[in-house]
Parts: sequence; C-alpha cells; structure tokens
Amino acid sequence: MEGKSPINKFGRGHRDKVQQFMAITGASEKAAVQALKASDWHLEGAFDVFYSQPQSKIHTDSRQLEELYNKYKDPYLDMIMADGIARLCNDLQVDPQDIVMLVASWHMKAATMCEFSKQEFVGGLQSIGIDSLDKFQERIPFMRSELKDEQKFREIYTFSFGWAKEKGQKSLALDTAIGMWQLLFAEKHWPLVDHWCQFLQAQHNKAISRDTWSQLLEFTRTVDFGLANYDAEGAWPYLIDEFVDYLNENGVGADGFSRTIGA
Amino acid sequence: MLLLFIDRSFTVPSFDVQVKLGRGNMEIELEQGWEIIERGITRLKNILEGLPEPKFSSTNYMELYTTVYNMCTQKPHDYSQQLYDRYRESIEDYINSMVLPSLREKHDEFMPRELVKRWENHKVLVRWLSHIFHYLDPEFIPRRSLLPLREVGFICFRNLLYCSDDTDLDSPLFRLIKSEREGEEIDRALLKNVVDIFVEIGMGQMDYYENDFEDAMLKDTAAYYSRKASNWILEDSCPDYMLKAEECLKREKERVSHYLHSSSEPKLLEKVQNELLSVYGNQLLEKEHSGCHALLRDDKVNDLSRMFRLFSKIPRGLEPVSSIFKQHVTGEGTALVKQAEDAASNKKSVGLQVFVRKVIELHDKYLAYVSDCFQNHTLFHKALKEAFEIFCNKGVSGSSSAELLATFCDNILKKGGSEKLSDEAIEETLEKVVKVLAYISDKDLFAEFYRKKLARRLLFDKSANDDHVTDLTLARENQTSFEEYLGNNANANPGIDLTVTVLTTGFWPSYKSFDLNLPVEMVKCVEVFREFYQTKTKHRKITWIYSLGTCNLIGKFEPKTMELIVTTYQASALLLFNTADRLSYSEIMAQLNLTDDDVVRLLHSLSCAKYKILIKDPNTKTISPTDSFEFNTKFTDKMRRIKIPLPPVDEKKKVIEDVDKDRRYAIDASIVRIMKSRKTLCHQPLVMECVAQLGRMFKPDIKAIKKRIEDLISRDYLERDKDNPNLFRYLA
Repeated sequence: MEGKSPINKFGRGHRDKVQQFMAITGASEKAAVQALKASDWHLEGAFDVFYSQPQSKIHTDSRQLEELYNKYKDPYLDMIMADGIARLCNDLQVDPQDIVMLVASWHMKAATMCEFSKQEFVGGLQSIGIDSLDKFQERIPFMRSELKDEQKFREIYTFSFGWAKEKGQKSLALDTAIGMWQLLFAEKHWPLVDHWCQFLQAQHNKAISRDTWSQLLEFTRTVDFGLANYDAEGAWPYLIDEFVDYLNENGVGADGFSRTIGA
Repeated sequence: MLLLFIDRSFTVPSFDVQVKLGRGNMEIELEQGWEIIERGITRLKNILEGLPEPKFSSTNYMELYTTVYNMCTQKPHDYSQQLYDRYRESIEDYINSMVLPSLREKHDEFMPRELVKRWENHKVLVRWLSHIFHYLDPEFIPRRSLLPLREVGFICFRNLLYCSDDTDLDSPLFRLIKSEREGEEIDRALLKNVVDIFVEIGMGQMDYYENDFEDAMLKDTAAYYSRKASNWILEDSCPDYMLKAEECLKREKERVSHYLHSSSEPKLLEKVQNELLSVYGNQLLEKEHSGCHALLRDDKVNDLSRMFRLFSKIPRGLEPVSSIFKQHVTGEGTALVKQAEDAASNKKSVGLQVFVRKVIELHDKYLAYVSDCFQNHTLFHKALKEAFEIFCNKGVSGSSSAELLATFCDNILKKGGSEKLSDEAIEETLEKVVKVLAYISDKDLFAEFYRKKLARRLLFDKSANDDHVTDLTLARENQTSFEEYLGNNANANPGIDLTVTVLTTGFWPSYKSFDLNLPVEMVKCVEVFREFYQTKTKHRKITWIYSLGTCNLIGKFEPKTMELIVTTYQASALLLFNTADRLSYSEIMAQLNLTDDDVVRLLHSLSCAKYKILIKDPNTKTISPTDSFEFNTKFTDKMRRIKIPLPPVDEKKKVIEDVDKDRRYAIDASIVRIMKSRKTLCHQPLVMECVAQLGRMFKPDIKAIKKRIEDLISRDYLERDKDNPNLFRYLA
C-alpha cells in the first residue's frame, strides 16, 4: 500500500485538484490523493470512486442478498451459472466480458469462471457492502478503481489464473490465457502484450503454467521496454527467455523497440 | 722465536711486557712516544714499497708495542685516544700519498692489477699496525664504543675507492668480461682478486660488493645481451637462437664460479634470461618458419624440449608455449575431423573407423610430447585436455563422437569386424579408447550405444565369450530342456528345427516387437514352445522379437538347391512365394503386416543387393510401393550356402531419444537432491551445482535444466520465494 505522499511531490495542477477535492468532499489529503490517482486525476471520476467505496463496515441485509441470489440462480443447481450471470450483467447494464465481473469474482473468491456458488456470491457481495442491484451498480466505479491499485491488481491477476482455468487442470489453456492477458493489460497498460500473444500463438501452442503466469507479471513490472535490464542468466521461466529471443529477433528491444513504436 | 719479515704472516709474541720494561714512574710525552712509533711505521711502509730497509726484528716490534702499551696505561696522561686517531691518520696518509697516486697513473687493465697489489699491501699494513696498536683493542676501544682497528683500516681503503672519481674501476673490468664473452682468454685470477676486494671490504656485509660492483656488472651484462639478442632475433632461426641462449646461460653460470661471488648467480642468470628470453619471447615463439608452431608441425622434439627448459625459467614463460601447443593439437584434431567428413561424404564408410584410430594415435603422440618434451608439466596436460575436448566433441557427418567411439569398439570386439586383433592388442586399444572417452562430454550417450552394440554381439556373435552373461547361460539351459521336452513328447513337434533364446527383459536393451504375420510353419513352432514354456513357469509372459531371429531356408533353384541363411523377416517374405509366383509390394506388406520401412529394407536386401533371390519389376535400384516381385528360379552362386544380410535399422535416433529421456530424469533427480539438502537456493547456484553433479556423465543444457525446474515447480517439489523470484524453496 502506498505510504504518505507529501503533496509537494505533485505538480501544480495536481495540487490544485487535491485541494479542490478536499474542499468539496471533506476527505483527508490521503483519501483525496488515493481517489484522484485511481481516476487518473479526473475530478469527476474521483468523486465516483470516493463515494462508491465502502466507507466502513456497511450493514447488508442478508435477506435481500438471498433474494438477489435466488433471482439469478440456476433452476436445477444451487449455483449461479453462465446463464444467470448473463442476466445479472444485463440488469447491471454491464458487458459480461467487462473486467468488473472479474473484480467481483475476486471479491467472491470464486473458484471458477462462469459460476458462483451461493456462499461465494453472498459472501463476496457482503464484503463490499452490496445487497441490491442498485448498490451493485453504485459500487462499479469503485471496483474498477481497484485495478489501479498496484497491490490489488497483483492479487486480481494472480487470482485470475485459478479462476480462468478448467477445474482439475494444472495449466491454463492458451486461448483463455491470451484472452485474460488482453483483458488485464488493457487496464494496466503493458506495451508488449500484443507481441506476447503473437509470440505464444506462433511458437508455444501449449497451456500456460502457473509459474509462467505469475512470472509474467514480474516481467511486466521489472523489465524495461528496451529489454536492457533483462537478465538472461536469471530465473525467468524458459518461455519468457524464448519471448525475449523472439523480440530480439524481430527487432524489438533496445533500438528495435523505438523503431516499431515510431512506425 | 725468530720472526721473518719476508714471510708476511707472523705470530705475535706474547710475553710480559711489564717485567721487561721495569717501569719506574717514567712518563712518556705524546710527541716523544709518537716519534718512536712513527719511525717504526715509516719503516714498515718502506718495506711495503719495496724500498731497502733493514729487517724489522722482533725487538723492533716489541719496542713499538711497548711504547704503545706504556702510553696507554700511564697516568695521568693516557694517550689512548690520540694513538687511536693517529693510527688512522697514518693509514690515511699512506693511502693518499702512496696508493692513490699509483692508481691514478695506471690505465686499462693495469689499474685493477695495481689495485689488487695495493690491497694486498694494505691488508698487510693493517695487520702489522693492528698488532702494534693491539693494546687499544681489548679495553679502550670497546669502552668508547669505537670501531676496531682492523675495521678502521679497511674503511680507509674503502673510502679511497669512493673518493677516486677519476679512477674508473668498472670499465676495465667489464671490458675484460666482455672479451671473455666474445671468446677471448682473460686473466680470470685478476677479476677474482678484484671481486674479492669488494667482498672482503664489506667485512661480512655484501653491501659493497652489491652496490659498488654487482649492480653495474648486472647492468653491463644486460646491455651486452640486449645488443646480442636484438641481432640474433633477426638473423637466427628459433632453434639456433635457443641453442645460443642455452649456451650463454651455461657460460654465465661458469663465469660466476670462476670469479664472481656465488650470490650473483641467480641475479646474473635472471638478467640474461630476461634479455634473451623475456624480451624477445613472443617474437621467438612466433617466428614464421622456425617458431613453436613450426617445431610442433615438424616434430622437432629436441628443440621443443630445449624450448621448455628455457622458457620454464622465466616468469609466465610457459604460458604462451602451452597456448601454441594447444592451438596446434586442436588444429591437428580438427583436420582429422574434416578428413573424416570428406571421406564420409564420398561414401567411404571405413573412414569413420580410421578416424577414431587416428584420434587415438594423435592422443598417444601428444601425450608423449607432454611427458617427454614438456616434463609432465600441468600447463601442458591442461592444454592437451582442452584441445581434445574441443575437437572430440565435434561429430562427423551427423554421428556424434560418442557414437563413433562405441562403433569403433564394436568393430574391434565383434567377430567379422573390420579389424582383426590379438587379445592384447584389443585390451591395449580399449584402454586408449577410455582415455579419449574422458574428453567427451556425452559419456552417457557412449554408454547407451555401447550397451546396444554389446547386446547385439552377445546375441549374434558366435565367438563372443558369453559365459559370464548369466542370462545367456540360462537361455542355453532353457534350450537344452526344450530339446529334452521335444524328445519326450512325440506330439509336441514343431516340424522344423527350432532354437529359442529366452532373455530377461530388464537386462537387455528394449527391442520393439512387431506383429509379424508368421508363415504357417513357424506358427506351429511358436505354439509348441509356448506349451513347453508353460510347463516351466506360469508367471512369465513371453514376447517374441521376430526382428532378431534367423532362419535357414532351402531354396530349390533350377541350377542347384542352395541353403540361404536369412532373418525371420526375410524368410517370411520368401515363403510367400511358395504359394504365389508374383506378388506386388502392397500384397507383400499386407501379408506380412510390417511397416513400410521394414518392408522396403527387406525387399531391398532380397532383390537389389548382392544376391538377387527375387526379381524386381521394374529393375531399378530402389524399392517403390508400385514394384512387383517374382521368385528368381534361375538364381545361383558358386557356394552351396549363402548368408543374405539384412542391414539393421539405424538405432541412432532411438538411442538419442532414450538418452534424452534418461537425462531428464537425471536432471530432475539432481535438482531434487540439491534442493533437499540446501532447502533454499538461488537460481544461478542451483544451475551450477546441477551442472557440476551431472558433469561426469554429460553436459546438461542450461535450457533443459530450466525446463526441469519449472516442471518440478508445477509438480510441487519446489516453489519460488514470494519476495525474490530468483530464489527457490524445497517443498517437503
């Protein structure tokens, strides 16, 4: 989590916004900075974030929550299945592919995509203070903002592997993995995501191990665009070594990268 | 007790002076006493100068000694200090007035001669005077912590050498030395005497010798050899230069023993070595037609031995030599590889056998160099090893060196191999193979190829000594009881002579078994044996490996009946023609139920090779799926019995696959072993330890190790540390 950030660290424009935010909402400087950061320094977005986050342990009406669950649950199983989820999304006016659903699943600690057990659904929504569709909708900006938090993004990313893979499998199918990566790195921009996916499709064609999945995040966080600080002798997974070779062969990396960017 | 002054060494008489003098209280005045003494001294000096003087008797001596004694012991005026000073002064005086001028007027060689003469004189003078002034020594001098008389005397002479700026002592000496170096005879005694002056004058310390003579001598020597070397390096070949260098070193060593102080030897030799070898070392080694490379190329062992002897004396001198040696051996080896490649591309299969033999010979040759020329020095052992490691790991035309070595051994050991050697020769050759094997990194690959070929030899080689192979002994016993069984059971009749070799699966390489459709005659055999085997044990399963079987067929050809020794596969194909005159490729394949590869191989051996038992239509050199075959009734050969070989399948790919698989297991086991004992370890050290552990059998690929680590992570043997992804932890 971020520590105290003195306001003097920021530029003039940002300082002004923080002051404004604090004046309007009465929030602390810390909360103001947090909210503004989460909304990429747009004041209106920051308000959304601020007001949609759970201020404290909000009391949820468990009966209402149960009703909500029953609305979407599958007729034959005590689970909400893909069908129910589609309806939920529709009612929320959210695309089922929207990453918000991933964040929600994360809160629920859902075991597998496209299905929620009763405990997962109820427990998860309760933890973020949702017991009705309206409240769910209100919370959406907040949930989106959580992706901007470094630590939370990491947790969500790590969670995604287990969630997206088939039950009983150790590895994640390549197509699913690619889909997930594209979804996740649309939120947290990684310039090489397209190269990565192309590389995998051209050269790997096998499932992705958990280790590779988690090490890739490390890669995006620590290795420069120019690949200058990539340690080939390091403990990077074999697949990532291959990716770096692929990039070097295809003219990305060091000067190569600037070339492709320019083009 | 007569004292003769001609003989310059005399003993000091000791008698009680006190009694002789009968001292009253007669005090001697300083100048008075000195006059007596001085007279005596002057007489001594004259004697030294060779001037006519009456002999110096013992009485004269006593008088002087007594005078000194009295002047030192009398009270109150004890003139010890004055006497001491005047002792010194009289020596200095003598030097300045007599010695120095005489030196100055001498030149060249005469100057050192004069110096020697003067030194001898001086020593005598000092000795005489010390005896006269002897009384000062035991008490006065130590009491005042003064220098002893003899030392004072020597120091005076020493100062002379320093003060004489215009007497150049060095040049004449060095001229002499140079002459001797150039081959002239010189007066060695003279040089020795001068050197002795420097040594003696130090009175136990070598400072004077070193500072006043040796330093300049060493510089002079260095300059001399520097000039020589700069000429020789241009004019002489490397061997000639080295001969000269060796000779020079020998001479300089002798020079030390002739007239220099022994302590100069190492310093002198070092200077010479430096000028002759260190300075021009590289130029010498790299001389185009006669340098180290050329000597190796031309097998000049004597010159190389000399080179070793010389260069081992200079610091880091052997490193360039061993480096050239390594380059040379690598070059020779690589040339052999190329030769073999060329031979292989010209389809000369014997080239590979020859290649291995040549590699062994190369090794023998250069190992001898290391032990003879290079005196078993570790640098050269290392160079040889590294050179061999470089080219021994290059394969030849697709076959790895591990395979080539295994094939080589097979050829030596098997009956009908390309070499016919006595047992001792075989033993000796195999020992050499082992030495070469040490350089090959894929030792496990060699082991696997060797094993496969050994199995083949054991199974097919009639000459192979298989008594120590338990399985084969058992197999023979089995066959014996089978024959007994047949004898006792009339209805158990295979119809043809049948020999079965039963092998225990685990002990032998794995052989693929195919579902060959046996000819009906053979089906019966299999049945009968199976029944027999059931009587022996019900717990074992038999799998028939028809690809290893052999068959004797009687071929009723028109010209004459012949016996054909073929494999079971070939027999099965031929027997088809008992019931059909003409068969197509596809019909044969369908009937036999074999793969294309096998069918092509066996049909080729029967229709396109040396013995054409089948006639192929069309009559081309290769088998194609559209061909048809007919029994060749007209076939004949001058022999009654022929063997039709079926070339074996190339097992190379399978061996490599098996070895790769074993390696993966070995890497896994190694990683787990290491992690189990270390608990946590970072990536780099883990990889390094793994490589070290496995190095005895093969050189593991770093990428392969990485893959195995990841595999072990996914199998929950290891995990990455949460904070440091470079660190692995063992999961118990």
